[in-house]
Amino acid sequence: MIHLNNIDKYYDSKFQRTFVLKAVNLEVKEGEFVSIMGPSGSGKSTLLNIIGLLDAPSAGEYSLYDKSVLDLKEKAKVDYHRNFMGFIFQAYHLIEEMTVYENIETPLIYKGVKSRDRQAMVADLLDRFNMVAKKDLFPQQLSGGQQQLVGIARAIIGKPKLLLADEPTGNLQSVQGEMIMETLQQLNNEGMTIIQVTHNEKFAEYGKRIIRLEDGIIRKDVASKIVFSI
Amino acid sequence: MIVRVLILWYGSGISRWTIIQKQTENNRLKAMIKHFFINIFRNIRHNKVFTIINLANLVIGFAVFILFSVLISHELNFDKFNTNYDNIYRVQTRQEDSYPTNFCTYSPAAFRFHLMADVPEVEKVLLMREVSGGAKGSGQFFTLPDGSQFYQLNGYWSENSIFDIFTINLKEGNKSTALTEPGTIALSETLSKKIFPEGNALGKQVIVGKRFPVTVSAVYTDFPQNSNLKPTYLVSMPTYPGLSGELAYGENWTNISFDNYVLLKKGADPKLVDAKIKNAFKDVKNFEKSSPYLHPLSKLHISPNSQPDVIIGLAILSLAAFLVLILACVNYVNLSLANSTQRATEIGIKKVIGSSKKLLATQFLAETILHTLFATVLALFVAQASFPLLNRILNKNIDFSLWNNAQLLIFISLVSLLVGILSGLYPSLVISSYNPVKVLKGKVFSNGGNSISIKKILVAAQFSISLFMLIVSFILYNHVNFILNKDLGFENKKILYTEINPRDKMPFETVKTRMLQHPEIADISFSSTIPFIGNIGGYVTWEGAAPDEKEMISRNYVNYDFIPTYNLKMAYGRNFSKEYPADNKACIINETALKVFGWSDPVGKLIYLEGRPFPVVGVVKDFHPYSVHNPIPTYIMFLNNNVISGSTLLTVRFTGDEQKARALVTRELDTIFPNDPFEFKDFSIAFYLDAAIEFWQSMKSMFIFFAVVTLLISTIGLFGLILFTVKRRTKEIGVRKVLGSSVGSVYWQLSTEVIGMLGFAILVGCPAAIYIYKTMPGAYKEPLTISEFLIAIALVAVIAFITISYHVLKVAVSNPVKALRYE
Ligand SMILES: Nc1ncnc2c1ncn2[C@@H]1O[C@H](COP(=O)(O)OP(=O)(O)OP(=O)(O)O)[C@@H](O)[C@H]1O
Ligand SMILES: [Mg+2]
Repeated sequence: MIHLNNIDKYYDSKFQRTFVLKAVNLEVKEGEFVSIMGPSGSGKSTLLNIIGLLDAPSAGEYSLYDKSVLDLKEKAKVDYHRNFMGFIFQAYHLIEEMTVYENIETPLIYKGVKSRDRQAMVADLLDRFNMVAKKDLFPQQLSGGQQQLVGIARAIIGKPKLLLADEPTGNLQSVQGEMIMETLQQLNNEGMTIIQVTHNEKFAEYGKRIIRLEDGIIRKDVASKIVFSI
Repeated sequence: MIVRVLILWYGSGISRWTIIQKQTENNRLKAMIKHFFINIFRNIRHNKVFTIINLANLVIGFAVFILFSVLISHELNFDKFNTNYDNIYRVQTRQEDSYPTNFCTYSPAAFRFHLMADVPEVEKVLLMREVSGGAKGSGQFFTLPDGSQFYQLNGYWSENSIFDIFTINLKEGNKSTALTEPGTIALSETLSKKIFPEGNALGKQVIVGKRFPVTVSAVYTDFPQNSNLKPTYLVSMPTYPGLSGELAYGENWTNISFDNYVLLKKGADPKLVDAKIKNAFKDVKNFEKSSPYLHPLSKLHISPNSQPDVIIGLAILSLAAFLVLILACVNYVNLSLANSTQRATEIGIKKVIGSSKKLLATQFLAETILHTLFATVLALFVAQASFPLLNRILNKNIDFSLWNNAQLLIFISLVSLLVGILSGLYPSLVISSYNPVKVLKGKVFSNGGNSISIKKILVAAQFSISLFMLIVSFILYNHVNFILNKDLGFENKKILYTEINPRDKMPFETVKTRMLQHPEIADISFSSTIPFIGNIGGYVTWEGAAPDEKEMISRNYVNYDFIPTYNLKMAYGRNFSKEYPADNKACIINETALKVFGWSDPVGKLIYLEGRPFPVVGVVKDFHPYSVHNPIPTYIMFLNNNVISGSTLLTVRFTGDEQKARALVTRELDTIFPNDPFEFKDFSIAFYLDAAIEFWQSMKSMFIFFAVVTLLISTIGLFGLILFTVKRRTKEIGVRKVLGSSVGSVYWQLSTEVIGMLGFAILVGCPAAIYIYKTMPGAYKEPLTISEFLIAIALVAVIAFITISYHVLKVAVSNPVKALRYE
């Protein structure tokens, strides 16, 4: 599904070129659950943003389903964001002025889903995440774990094929973190392809495959040992 | 994009949209409309301070703009209610020897009978004259049925053709005959109600000027506010010769005190008519000094004397009003960008979850347009409510309702829409193209160095403008005080004057003897003009002048007592005196004249007026016969024959209480002239009637008004900029606080920024204000004082530092952890 070939990402300053990613090759198949690990500043977020079409590589090739997605028009990119992928962030990034319900509903609006269908879909997810009672609250009124659940709900409401999560548990206590990871795993079991960035070894093991980045270079790319089953 | 926004608002448009767009687009739109409004509402609730400031900013900008649009439209639409608007002209007189302008709105009555009537393009002619003209603001007495009297301004002698030329609505009477007969009067509705509260004035008698009975032949609806001509009553022209004694007034070419109007035939070329009248004038009378010219009704109000004063004033006003609106727009842009830092997450995440750039931009633009429209509606109410203030500032009496002026409302809505688009476009483009990765990292704003300096420049420009306005206001404030308080060089505090036009001649000594019996009366004199009232021009030559040298002078015919009454001081020679019978062929000049003539020993030297020699017997020290705005003219006094006859001005200098003195002189004069109307007025009335003083006073209030408004708006601008800076650096400040550093350093940094902008404002604002001072019209000005500048700068600085302090304090007391959580 995802095919990265010789991806470089660098920043030019006055006197030097700093590489964030160097000759990254990565292949992710449909249904995989990949964890990316590595020290701070090694380029994990950058890699994820490139995969998510939020950032462009400086060199290399990137294709989704064998179609190059490098020089996409704004409209096509928006289309990928609406229909193909979802994002989860460490800082949740919920819209403060919107209720839980509206936060989850918004991607469907951009997608152009009918009002009745939207209602059904949001209700479904709220139910699944046990958040029905909280649907009219604003993000500030929720705990971190709950906010991240809303973040996940928002990311998957559009039924994306690919879920990108940048340290989804970074701001959470371990119990809440585990809950989030279990949710991700379940989604993966249902067929969603997931790529997550994490600093937590234990949480990385939720993935079927672990990639270790160091100074922008993939050092290790292994299948994880433990496979949880639910 | 705009079209789409409009459709978003007006649900009705959706169906049309559907045809063009796919089904999903339709769903998207429907949901967007709802979310759009919810979003705006939530944003307002979330950013109360921002919303209030921004709304106040727009409301102020729009209210000022609306007020001045109304004012300008009012001024430009004068007289338009007349159906013959395009074809009405006044025949005015160009005078070479008049002061201070060469153009006179009046003309001689002979024009009507010997010039205009014969031009084939002229459909109707109309001769009018102000009743009891001469001194400005003079009027006429009316006697009520119960014997009491009142003084009524703005009456005219008029021919019946006034009803054919101007659009007048008659309440009673007949338009075709109302003013054709001698001894008839047409009353305005208001005056009619005053004299005959019971109604039915037609055919009743009123007594004008204490002794002239006339019959009411018509009652007309009051002329509207925006009419240049607003007669309170009209006495038929055929009454004039009998009452005035000027039987041959129609043959008089030199008495320039009538109003001549013409109605041209449809399609007539006014230039051609003007030329024809000028030619006809050359054939009959060829005065080198005065000639007739046509002045269209459309210019009578904004440029009565063919001078551009009012137009320039209106242009300055429009410019100032537009400037204020533009400043408000600039603020809106700055504030929107500042606020977008607050909304960074919203913007970034919306992009990530699939909002297109176009959609985001549309959302922001629509939000802006909605803000401006809402602000406009508020501003309409504010403007309507502050109309009395504007009237006071401009010394006007405009009665205006915005709500029934559809044209203006449409204009204002269009401007509002334009402003919304203009001030929404830039921020919406900037905001919608934020890189979501950077925005979500909270980074985009720190490397927007370029746009920040643009903002700084904009705010600095705002400061320059308000500093400029402030300094100019102070300069004008001082200038008005100067004009009002400058020593005029003659006694003007204890002076009463009246115009009187007695039917029978009266030796002045009779009046004087009676008056001076009273110790309260210090002196009395009479003359053809007095300071600030009236002017008689003319050219003189003088002993020692070059062959073709001549000088325009202001002359006055005075009696022996004029100089002592006004306490004028002699510089050389003596006053006129009865001991010198030859004084009736002598003259007294002022120091300015002495300088012009270049004599070292003036007494005994000769000046020549209309070819006749007049020896100089004395020189008075310079005084100001007109307001300090005007230069002191070359002024020459001639002696009159000490007999009061015709229209003349009496002056009394009193001691003690003014009320008492006024009662006294009124009683005395009443016994001397029982049948002639007069009214003693304080000299200050003449003083304040001076056009220059009125002009400067309204200029002053206007500039103070604009200074306050621009200061307010630039404070909002600074507020926005600092809000922006502080928001951008909330985290940094938070970190510093956690690390134990004081907020002092942040304060210091903001202060240096503001000091820089202030410096810029000083560099721009001060020279601009000095330029205005230098080019400001007026013969005498007080030198600039450093305090005018310092106070203005201090005021701007204080406001700037209060604004900074507010923000820094807010951050200082805030919880640093909260600031850090932004990450
Ligand atoms: N706009 C930029 N200009 C220059 N360098 C940048 C820019 N954006 C990111 N970098 C650098 O790229 C490197 C990789 O950043 P990235 O955010 O991908 O790291 P990361 O692996 O996600 O780290 P962390 O675990 O702390 O999130 C960092 O050293 C960062 O300083
Ligand atoms: Mg990262």
